[in-house]
Amino acid sequence: MIPSVPFLCVITDETLCPVTLAEEALKGGAAMIQLRHKTASGNQLFNWAVEIRRRCQEYHALCIINDRIDIALASKADGVHLGQQDMPAGAARKLLGEMGIIGVTASSAEEALQAEQDGANYIGFGHIYPTRSKLKESSPLGLDILQKTATRISLPILAIGGINHQNAASVIAHGASGIAVISAVSRVQAPSVAARELVRSINNRTS
Amino acid sequence: MEHKQRKAPPLPRLYLISSGEEHAHNGTLLLNQLNLLPRSLSCMVQIREKQLNAKELLELALQARAMELPEGTLLLMNERADIALAAGFDGVHLPENGCSAKVLRSFAPELLYGCSVHSASALCIAEESGADYLLFGPVFDTPSKRIYGAPQGLKKLGELCGATSLPVFALGGITLQNAASCMAEGAYGVAGLSIFQDTAKFAETFDQFYLQVNR
Repeated sequence: MIPSVPFLCVITDETLCPVTLAEEALKGGAAMIQLRHKTASGNQLFNWAVEIRRRCQEYHALCIINDRIDIALASKADGVHLGQQDMPAGAARKLLGEMGIIGVTASSAEEALQAEQDGANYIGFGHIYPTRSKLKESSPLGLDILQKTATRISLPILAIGGINHQNAASVIAHGASGIAVISAVSRVQAPSVAARELVRSINNRTS
Repeated sequence: MEHKQRKAPPLPRLYLISSGEEHAHNGTLLLNQLNLLPRSLSCMVQIREKQLNAKELLELALQARAMELPEGTLLLMNERADIALAAGFDGVHLPENGCSAKVLRSFAPELLYGCSVHSASALCIAEESGADYLLFGPVFDTPSKRIYGAPQGLKKLGELCGATSLPVFALGGITLQNAASCMAEGAYGVAGLSIFQDTAKFAETFDQFYLQVNR
């Protein structure tokens, strides 16, 4: 089940071993790990997914697989995360069943509403701030669009894009149910410390 | 390890693989080929389009599935069992480093599973995983595979066919002239991409191939 309190999702970084990063993120209090690797072989992805899922279970966290519903089913992961270029949520739902979690990336209120209609369980919404993890052609959405979108949909919104411990609390204050990060946890000296700091930021908001 | 054998008619002996160029043709190459399949002959058709994303692959697969195809034609998706299931395909073809067929069968027992094999050790893994058929190559010289080194040759094809009871399709540089020699080495059938790309001659090429593999 998707946590009902503000939570941290850590997405694996292609430059690091995803299992090691997941382990560190879980130690730091991440409630969701998303395995995302666009170039790994199917066999490699499956092996990573099994390892990450096992660790997620130990920490009572969710294991989500990016794009590959086959790998999610094979590894008995909790669900999938689908971009706008991936299989539509409706088709994925037929494969995953009612229990599987489906997250959909949206970068506008319209995409978020569509995902909600298609049976998604949460929305990955962004990018909110400028980010260096992925090359982006569009400009950041900002807090205002986040807040307006949050009032229009009932699904949990996971804010993504340029989120760090300094701006995490304001993202939650603007309607996000959680945050998803890559570089804020992966490209630092101590990923578990960075994760813990993010978890603290989203739970101790003052605004 | 034993797995439940598919209770199905024997596999077709001809195996068509999509060009890998559909991103530049909007799926039309493959759909055109499927349209031209001789009504009286069946074949295996694998969609292998590494440049397409999952959404585009599913759309192409659904278009292929919606076509009226000769009886016995089997539609296979490269690697992605999820897209195969979503499109109602007959099976999935796995690269050597793909997720194991045994694992995929746990949630998709209805699919047919093929495995690419390039060595004796890969054969062991494919057999152990419960593959339904194998794809071996490149048997002959083929421009697209030169970067991987010399072709494997007929002798290695023969050795592989002798070492397994699974149907083996020979791939790589297959022509009307050399198809029979692959069959003589014990291949179950032959597979190709480029030879089937001239759609003007497609139906004729297809008919002649069948004479070669069935004689």
